[in-house]
Amino acid sequence: MSEDDGRVVFEPKIVGFLCNWCSYAGADKAGGLQRSYPPNVNIIRVMCSGRVDPQFVLKAYSAGADGVLILACHLGDCHYKEGNYHAMQRHRMLLRILSEHGIENERCRFDYVSAADGDKFVKIMNEMVYTIRELGPMDRLNCWSDNKLKQGG
Amino acid sequence: MKIGVYFCNCASNISDKVDSQRVRAVVGSLEDVAYFKTNELMCSEDGKKFLHDDILEERPDRIVIAACSPRDHEKTFMRVLSGAEMNPYLMQMVNIREQVAWVTEGVGRASTKASSLIKGAVSRVRFHKPLHRKSIDMSPDVMVIGAGPAGLKAALTIAETGRKVTLVEKRPVIGGQPALYEEVFPNLECAPCMLEPILNDVLHGEYAGNIELLTLSEVVELNGFYGNFIAKIRKTPRYADLNQCIGCGDCIGVCPVDVKNEFNNGMDNRKAISLSFAGALPNVPFIDMKACLRAKGEDCRLCEQACPLGEGIIRYDDEETIVERHVGAVIVAVGASLFDAGLIPKLGAGTVADVYTSFEFERLLSSTGPTGGKLRTRSGRTPETIAIVHCVGSLDSNHNEHCSGICCLNAFKFNVMIEHRLPGIQIHHLYKELVYPGKEEYALYQRALSNPNAVFTRYSDIDTIEITSTGDCIGIKTGLPETGVIRADMVVLCPAVVPSKDIGELSRVLDITEDMYGFFEELHGRLDSVRTKVRGIYISGACQSPVNIAQAVNQGQAAAGYVLSGLIAGKQLEIEPLTASVDKDRCSGCRVCLFLCPYKAVFLDAETQRPSVNEVLCQGCGICVAACPSGAMSSNHFTNDAIFAEIEGVLK
Ligand SMILES: Cc1cc2nc3c(=O)[nH]c(=O)nc-3n(C[C@H](O)[C@H](O)[C@H](O)COP(=O)(O)OP(=O)(O)OC[C@H]3O[C@@H](n4cnc5c(N)ncnc54)[C@H](O)[C@@H]3O)c2cc1C
Repeated sequence: MSEDDGRVVFEPKIVGFLCNWCSYAGADKAGGLQRSYPPNVNIIRVMCSGRVDPQFVLKAYSAGADGVLILACHLGDCHYKEGNYHAMQRHRMLLRILSEHGIENERCRFDYVSAADGDKFVKIMNEMVYTIRELGPMDRLNCWSDNKLKQGG
Repeated sequence: MKIGVYFCNCASNISDKVDSQRVRAVVGSLEDVAYFKTNELMCSEDGKKFLHDDILEERPDRIVIAACSPRDHEKTFMRVLSGAEMNPYLMQMVNIREQVAWVTEGVGRASTKASSLIKGAVSRVRFHKPLHRKSIDMSPDVMVIGAGPAGLKAALTIAETGRKVTLVEKRPVIGGQPALYEEVFPNLECAPCMLEPILNDVLHGEYAGNIELLTLSEVVELNGFYGNFIAKIRKTPRYADLNQCIGCGDCIGVCPVDVKNEFNNGMDNRKAISLSFAGALPNVPFIDMKACLRAKGEDCRLCEQACPLGEGIIRYDDEETIVERHVGAVIVAVGASLFDAGLIPKLGAGTVADVYTSFEFERLLSSTGPTGGKLRTRSGRTPETIAIVHCVGSLDSNHNEHCSGICCLNAFKFNVMIEHRLPGIQIHHLYKELVYPGKEEYALYQRALSNPNAVFTRYSDIDTIEITSTGDCIGIKTGLPETGVIRADMVVLCPAVVPSKDIGELSRVLDITEDMYGFFEELHGRLDSVRTKVRGIYISGACQSPVNIAQAVNQGQAAAGYVLSGLIAGKQLEIEPLTASVDKDRCSGCRVCLFLCPYKAVFLDAETQRPSVNEVLCQGCGICVAACPSGAMSSNHFTNDAIFAEIEGVLK
C-alpha cells in the first residue's frame, strides 16, 4: 500500500512474462525513450512466449501476484515462427481454468508488443496497474489456495 | 553456495535513480549472498577488469549482475566469466537501467523495484547449471537440387572455393527454364548467349572438377542435419555415355520411333533417342526407354550401330541406381510452374487452336522450337493479329491472389519479338494490372507502348473474357462495350507463376515447409528469404517466390554465401547449449513435442520410441517444454525450477 494525497492506494504485485525478441525489447525501448510507468510489474524474461507454461502463471498467483501479463511478438513476427500462437492458445485455455477458480480474467492479460512498441508497452503497464488496482488484491482464501496449487502443480 | 551480487552505476545512469545502499540493505542479507559490490561502469575496460579480478579472488559459485539490459551486455559479461575460469551460464543479469532507472519516478520506488528484481535473480541463479558449447565435425560439401539459373550460380560460386558440389537435375538438360527461351527481358539479350558461358563453366570450366553433375536424377531421401546430411539420389539412366559421347547426333537421325516432344510442350515430335533441343547441354542424347522399341522386346540397335565411335557409347544395359552423398548443406532451386490456364475453360487453352500459354509461345519464338522460330497458325497462315492476355489466374481471389511480377515484362518482350518477326502486325494486350518494377524494365514497357500497332486494353475480371474459334480466326469477347469482340489469329495467355508439384514432393523428402501459397517457406520474407526453418537447407529462385532471372541468380548466390560463411572446411559446428532435453523416464510418449517443434528438432528415437532432441537443430524456444504434459521436457538455463524460483523471488 502506498499513500497518495493522504489516501491509501493499493499497490498490486504483477508478474510479466516477456519474450526475449519482441516484448522484452519493447520494454527496453520504453526505457530508451525514458517513458515512466508504475513500478508494479516485475518482468521475467523467457526466450519465447511459447515457453510460458500455464504453471508459471498459477505459480505467480500462489506466490502473491495480483495479476499476470504475458507479452508476445505480433502474430506472424515470432522469432521462432509460431511460438506466440501457442502462447495465445494457452492463454485462452488458462482463462477458462482461472474462471473456474474464481480468478477474474482481467488478472491475466495477453498482448502483443514488438521491439518498436515502446509506447504501447507503457500503455499496457498503465492499464494493467489501473485494472488490478480497481479489482483490488487477489482474494487468495476464496480462490485457489497456495496449498491446492502445490498439490495440482 | 556463495553468491556474489554486482551493482553497476552505469556512470550515473543507474545510480541517479536507484540507491545502491537501499538495495544492498535488502539484497545483502539474502541467504547465500556473500557480498554486494558496486562498480562505476562494468562494461568499460576498467569495469571488466574489476569483475574479472574480483571473480578470481572471491571464487563465487554464482553471480548476479544488476546493470543494463541483458540484450546489451550479457554476452560481454559472459566472456569476462569465461576469462575468469567461471562457467558463463552461472550468472544472471538484472535489467535495472532500461526497466527500472529510466522508467521509474522516485528513488524510493525505483530502489524497491530494483531490489525485487535482484531478489528474483538471486533465487533463480542457484538453479543455474554450468553449460558447455559442444562441437561436431561438418562436411563442407554441398548438394544443389535443380540446375536452373539459381542452382547453377549457387553451384559455381561454391565450387570456385574448392568445395565439392553435387548438382542434381531432374531433366537431361541443364539451364532451367531460360534454356528454352530465345531472348530474355528486360534488354532482350540472346538467352543462349547469356546462359552458355555459365553452363560451360559448370561442365568444362576451371572449377568443373568440383561439380558432380547428376542429370535425370532426383533426391529420394535426406537424413541427418546441418553439417552432416546423407542424401539418397535416384539416377535414371541416360543410356549414353556422358563422358565419351561427342554429341554428333548421328544416332538420332536413324531412330524409327516418334514421340511427342515435351520440351516443345507436345507441339511437335522427337525421336526415342534425342536431345532436349538443338544445343541442349550436356550435348549428349538420352534414350526415352518407355518409347524405345527395345522396351517392347525388339532388338533394335540402330542408334548404337550409327555411332561413329563404335560400341560402348550407347549403353542399353544401364540401370537405375541409387547413389548416396554426404553433404553439409542443401540448396534447393527447383523452380516453379505455370498456373493451368485450362482451369478457366472460357480462355480456350487446349481447346481452341492457336491459343498458347507463355511457355508454349516461348518455344514458338525459339529458333530451336517446333517451327524454328517462325510464327504460323496451325493452318499455316501468317498471323495478322496476336492477342496477349495478361494476369491469367493471378490477382484473382478465385485462383491466385499474388502478382507473379514477370508476366507483364514477358508480354512486352513478346511484343517486341513478334514485331521483329512480323513488322506491322497488330498486337492486342488485355491486362488487369500492368507491373514493371526495376531500373531497366520501364524502357521495355515504353518500347511496347511506342509500337503504333499495339493496343492496350484493361479488363476488370478474367471471367468476362471468352475466347472461341470463329472458323477462320479467334474471337475474344472482353465484356467491355467499347471493345466489342476482338478478332485475332493467335492468342498468348500469360498464366501466373505457381508452385510446382516438385515443391510439394520435395518438401516431404527434405522435411521443409511450404507457405500458404505452396512455395517453399522462407525463414523471413525480407531478411532471410533463402533460409528455411531447417538449418542447413536453403531455397533459391522461383521455388521460393516468383522471380526473374536476376533475382533467382542473386538468391542462388545468397544461399552459397550462407554455405561459405557457415560451413568451413576443418571448422567444427558449435552448438549453443540453450536447447531442450528429454527425461525419457518421465515421458509418456504422447509426442506432442514432435508436432509442435517449429524446427523438426524433436524426433522419435527408433530404439526407445521416445522423443529425442537434436541439439544442432533445436533453437531453444521452449515451446515443447511448456507443452509437455508429463514435465519430461526441459529447457537448459530456462528450467521450470529456475523460473519458479525467479517468480517467487520477485514477489517475496
Ligand atoms: C514464360 C516465361 C518467360 C520468362 N522470361 C523471362 C525473361 O525473359 N527474363 C527473366 O529475367 N525472367 C524470365 N522468366 C522468369 C524465369 O524463367 C525465372 O526467373 C527462372 O527460370 C528462375 O530460375 P530457377 O533457377 O529458380 O528455376 P528454373 O529455371 O525453373 O530451374 C529449375 C530447375 O530445376 C529442375 N528441377 C525441377 N524439379 C526438380 C527435382 N525434383 N529434382 C531435380 N531438379 C529439378 C528443373 O528441371 C530446372 O532445370 C520467364 C518466366 C516465364 C514463365
